[in-house]
Amino acid sequence: MKVLRLTPERCTGCLRCEIACSYMQTGAYQPSKSVIRVSPFESHTSYAPYTCTQCAEGWCMTACPVGAITINAAGAKDVVDDKCVGCKLCTIACPYGTMFYDTTTRKAFKCNLCGGNPACAHACPTAAIEYADTAMADWIGDFARERVSYVLAMEGAR
Amino acid sequence: MPVRHLIIGGGTAGMNAMRTIREEEREPSEITLVSAERPYSRMVLPYYLDKSIAENHVYTATAANLATWKVKTLIGRRATALDVKANVCTLDDGTRVEYDDCLIATGSSAARAPVPGADASGVHSFWTLEEARGVLASITPGSQVVMVGAGFISFTILNSILSLGAKLTVVELMPRILPRMVDDIGAGVVEDWLKGHGVAVRTNAKLAKIENVKGRKRLKFASGPDLTADVVIMATGIRTNLGWLKDSGVKVEQGIIVDDHLRSSIPNVYAAGDVAQGRDLISGQRAVHAIEPTAQEHGRIVGANMAGKDVRYRGSLIINIVEVCHLDAASFGAWDDAKSEAISGLKKDRNAYRKLLFTGDKLTGAIIIGRSNDIWTTNDVGMLKGLVQSGQAIGRYKDHLRRNPFDVKTVFIAAQTTRTLLPETVLGRPSMAPGDSPVAV
Repeated sequence: MKVLRLTPERCTGCLRCEIACSYMQTGAYQPSKSVIRVSPFESHTSYAPYTCTQCAEGWCMTACPVGAITINAAGAKDVVDDKCVGCKLCTIACPYGTMFYDTTTRKAFKCNLCGGNPACAHACPTAAIEYADTAMADWIGDFARERVSYVLAMEGAR
Repeated sequence: MPVRHLIIGGGTAGMNAMRTIREEEREPSEITLVSAERPYSRMVLPYYLDKSIAENHVYTATAANLATWKVKTLIGRRATALDVKANVCTLDDGTRVEYDDCLIATGSSAARAPVPGADASGVHSFWTLEEARGVLASITPGSQVVMVGAGFISFTILNSILSLGAKLTVVELMPRILPRMVDDIGAGVVEDWLKGHGVAVRTNAKLAKIENVKGRKRLKFASGPDLTADVVIMATGIRTNLGWLKDSGVKVEQGIIVDDHLRSSIPNVYAAGDVAQGRDLISGQRAVHAIEPTAQEHGRIVGANMAGKDVRYRGSLIINIVEVCHLDAASFGAWDDAKSEAISGLKKDRNAYRKLLFTGDKLTGAIIIGRSNDIWTTNDVGMLKGLVQSGQAIGRYKDHLRRNPFDVKTVFIAAQTTRTLLPETVLGRPSMAPGDSPVAV
C-alpha cells in the first residue's frame, strides 16, 4: 500500500500542505480544516508535518458503532458521511490524535489519502511529503526528539 | 458436523463476535443468535432522539445481513437458563438451544432510583430503543424535562433534549456532576458551561419521591424545593443482566469472571461486554467496563477464539467522551487514582481543563475538557488516549508537561509514541472494514 512518507528535515513550514488538504477535504482554503498538521519546533525554526498513519488496527474504524468508517480503494480509513452520526467515539479511540470533528456538519473527518491522490504530497514543494510504496513508520519521532531537547534545555535553564 | 456457536445478546459485543467468527473461521460453523431485541447500536440513540437520523439508521444488522452471514436468529427471545453440563440454553418460550460453545453478552438494563413513583407512567429510562421511542414521544417544544442523574448516559442525551425545544433541569445525588467521569474541578467547568447555556443543574439532590399532580410530575427531595416536570428521565445507572445465570455454575462477582481469552469459569462459555469482569489494561485487575469500546474489543476477541484462534486480550481501557452544548469532556484510564501523581492546568476563560495522572513516567489516566471548536481539543483527546494505551515512558518530557499541561502533541511525538503504537492490533492482524468480512458458505 502507498503511504504518506514524511521527511521533516525537508519541511520548511510553508503550510501549503494544509491549504491543499483543507481545500480537497472541505472545499475551503482553511488550515484549521486540514487533516495534516504542521508542528513548529525550536521556536519556529524547524517544522514537521503530522497526519493519520492509516494504522493496521484502524482504531477509528473498529470503534465506530455504525460502521461509518471503512477502507477506501487507496487502502485508507475513510469516513462515510451518510453513516456518521457524530458521536465522537472515533476521536477518543484513535490513539494518534488524527481524527477531526466538524462542528458545522457534526461529523468526523480524517485523512483518506484523497482516495489515492493526496493533495498534500502534490502541494509540498520540497518533497517533505511523498506518496510512496513503503511501510508506515514513525517518520518524525527522531526529528522531534532532537528538536525538543533544545526546548527542554531552555526550560531547565529558567 | 459443523461447530455450533451460540451468541446470547445482539448488542455490540455479540455482533462483533459474530462478525469475527465469520472473518476468522476455516471451516463453516453454525451460528445461532438469541437476542431480546433486533440488533441496534445504543451509541446512536441520542441522534435518533434529536431526529438527526431515522430509526432505521440505528440497526446494526438487517434480517438480510444476518441471512447473508448465515446466522440463525431467535429475535425477541430471552435466555432464561444455562445448563453448562448438557451444553443447552433454555429460552423464555421453552426453546432449548444446544451449543458447542457459547457467548454470554446480555448487557445491562437501566436502573431507577428506588423511590415511590419511580415506576409510574411519565417517568422514563433512556437505555433501549423502546425507551428512546418513549422519551421522543413525550417531549414537545416547551416541555419541562427533569433528568435524574448527571452521569454519562444523561449527558449523551442532553443536547438532544435541548434540540427538541425542552427546558431542562439536571439533578444529581452526588456533590458534583459526571461523578464517575471527571473530578471536582472538571465538573465545575462543565457545570458553569451548562448553566451558561440555560441548563439548570442541582447537585447534592437526593430524590425522595415522584408524585402525580394534574398530569404533571412533582419531584420531592430530601432537602430543598420541589421540582415540577412534564417529563422525568431517570438516568440513575445500569444493572448487568445476569440474574438468569443464577445456579448455572458460571462464576459471577460484579460480572462474569473471565480469563485473558474471555472464557468464564466454564471453558466453553465466554462472556463479553457489560456482563464480563475482565482485565483492566491499566490496573491489571479484573473490572467491569460497561462501555462501548470494551464491548467491541471483547466481542472480537471472543469471536476469534470461538473460531479456533488463540488470541489473548491485553485488557480494556476506560475511555469516555461526551459533548454538551459544544463543550467536550473526556477521561481515560485511572483518572481518579489518588495514588498517582497529578499534573493539571485550567484555562477558565477558554473553559479548558487538563489533568494528567502519572505512575512513574507513564501516563495512566487523564481528563480533558475543552470547547469543541478549539481545534486541539479533539486531537489531544486522541493523543492522551495513545499515551495511556501505549504505556509509553515519557521520561524527561514529564517536566515539560508540568510547565505546560496543554502541550500534549509535542510530548506525544517526541516520546516516539507512534513507534510503540504502530504494531498494536487487537486481533494480531489488520482489521477488516465493516462489510468486508468474508461470508462462510
